[in-house]
Amino acid sequence: MYRTMDGEEIFIIDAHIALWDASKENQLNVHGQQFIDCFYDYQTSLSPQEFWWDKEDFLKYSEDRLIKDVFHKGYADMAIFQPVLLKEFYKNGFGDIENSQKLTQTYPNRLICNDTFDPRHGKRGLEELEKSNERYSLKGVKLYTADWYGDSKGYKLSDDSTYRYLEKCQELGIKNIHIHKGPTITPLNRDAFDVADVDDAATSFPELNFIVEHLGLPRLEDFCWIATQEKNVYGGLSVAMPFIYARPRYFAEIMGELLFWLDEDRIIFGSDYAIWEPGWLIEKFMEFELPEDIKQETGAELNLDVKKKILAGNAARLYDIDIEAQKGKINNDRLAQEMNLSSV
Amino acid sequence: MSKKQDVMEKLDKVYDPELDQPLTDLDFIDDITIEGSDVEVKFRLPTYWCSPNFAYIMAEDIKEYVSEIDWVKEARVTLDDHCASDEINHGVAQGKQFSQSFEGQTTGDLDELRKTFRIKAFYSRQDRFVRHLLNKGFSKEELVRLTLQELEDITLSEEGIHLRDKYLQKKKELNHPGTCINAITDPEGNAITIDDLSDYLLGIKTTRLSMEFNGHYCRGLLEARYHLEKTN
Repeated sequence: MYRTMDGEEIFIIDAHIALWDASKENQLNVHGQQFIDCFYDYQTSLSPQEFWWDKEDFLKYSEDRLIKDVFHKGYADMAIFQPVLLKEFYKNGFGDIENSQKLTQTYPNRLICNDTFDPRHGKRGLEELEKSNERYSLKGVKLYTADWYGDSKGYKLSDDSTYRYLEKCQELGIKNIHIHKGPTITPLNRDAFDVADVDDAATSFPELNFIVEHLGLPRLEDFCWIATQEKNVYGGLSVAMPFIYARPRYFAEIMGELLFWLDEDRIIFGSDYAIWEPGWLIEKFMEFELPEDIKQETGAELNLDVKKKILAGNAARLYDIDIEAQKGKINNDRLAQEMNLSSV
Repeated sequence: MSKKQDVMEKLDKVYDPELDQPLTDLDFIDDITIEGSDVEVKFRLPTYWCSPNFAYIMAEDIKEYVSEIDWVKEARVTLDDHCASDEINHGVAQGKQFSQSFEGQTTGDLDELRKTFRIKAFYSRQDRFVRHLLNKGFSKEELVRLTLQELEDITLSEEGIHLRDKYLQKKKELNHPGTCINAITDPEGNAITIDDLSDYLLGIKTTRLSMEFNGHYCRGLLEARYHLEKTN
């Protein structure tokens, strides 16, 4: 909960967090090492220095630390795990789904744990998705289309095999599809960051929501175009958020574009914890104002009502969370007691 | 001019196609070794994962430009610390096509990709130049009527001249037919009507922003990766 100067309490959902294990013991090869090195460079290149972690801590961190960073220090009332597999780089995978699920069971009013799938796993993967849904009643999945599998260097949402999985999601009511585009998707001569396949899938599956993480960066322009055409396409702010500190003018320009092309109902806050801690991102975002010239050029407004939608309202709608009812549920729950907030 | 200056001058012409900025500005050039008429250029990228296709384009362009120098007999290019370093370094050294270097993983070569990003660079430079003109008091009507000849003749500030030249250079690379006399056109060389101009400008702005945004990311990541001093 973030409290404004006027004392208003702002409910916050961090829609993109992770619990990962990139420890040396879990790294399979140089790719595993390079993957986490790159994440670490993201942290140090775009966070204020007081929020740089020790590299060792960054490789693998405890559930306790996550709870403290996201909820105690981080203002979030709820958070959503968005796990990635990376089985070719890490022995047990990168995202620690098992422990994310356990933590979610410990704090059921606070955490939602999405699952993931890889369409190249064929029938076996479809069965696993069904089982996982029976066990956890999934609300969403995170897809990392640049994941390697055998000789394959990635897949597209428009692949037939992916369609089988999206049909399954539709059938099971797993309606939130979070997509992260990464590099090195075959065919390698094409633009690996191209988001045209999201357009395709969003048209074919109108009942599903497609949340393009990182706003399709580095192809923001293509993303804006697709989101204008497809009303079930959303923009996840993770990765763009830290620009609020590192390049505030660019952050303002991007927000101006998003509000212009997408409108305020389809932009969703995510910190991408543990690359960035939500606490400082939220503080800066609450203080942030769009410069006059950008307001005039785009007609965009980033007032408190819009901020509330971005910080919780929009994600709540996608995840069937009634914010007022949820406030009651968390008021004195286990985490609130641990945080010693129940008396506040 | 020293040999190293010869090489640097050529490297100034090699651009990262995604960012539309020269490798020398981006600090991607790690080292240049000159022995007699042999030159080796080492370059580096912001991440281990940067797309191999763009890396290949840069490696090919380094080799091509450096080979243009009259005293150079052999130009070698080495990309360090990249997931496809071996394929790229061997492929470019042997003058192989991209599709031969990554056999079975492509459906063709890089011409289409080069073209896509040439157009993005065109939009991006056009947006910067057009904004400059509008800020200087040009009306939208004047903008759509402006001919290439008039553009050469108008008085511009130093910044304006720089932006114009950058724009015209990209426009030239798109090989518009000689019959195309308008200064501000779409990537195919068609004039833009006054009715379409506002929407057109909205579109090209997102491309410019996207490229600039990525430029900041890439610089930041490179600085973090190689512990370089922060630029601002």
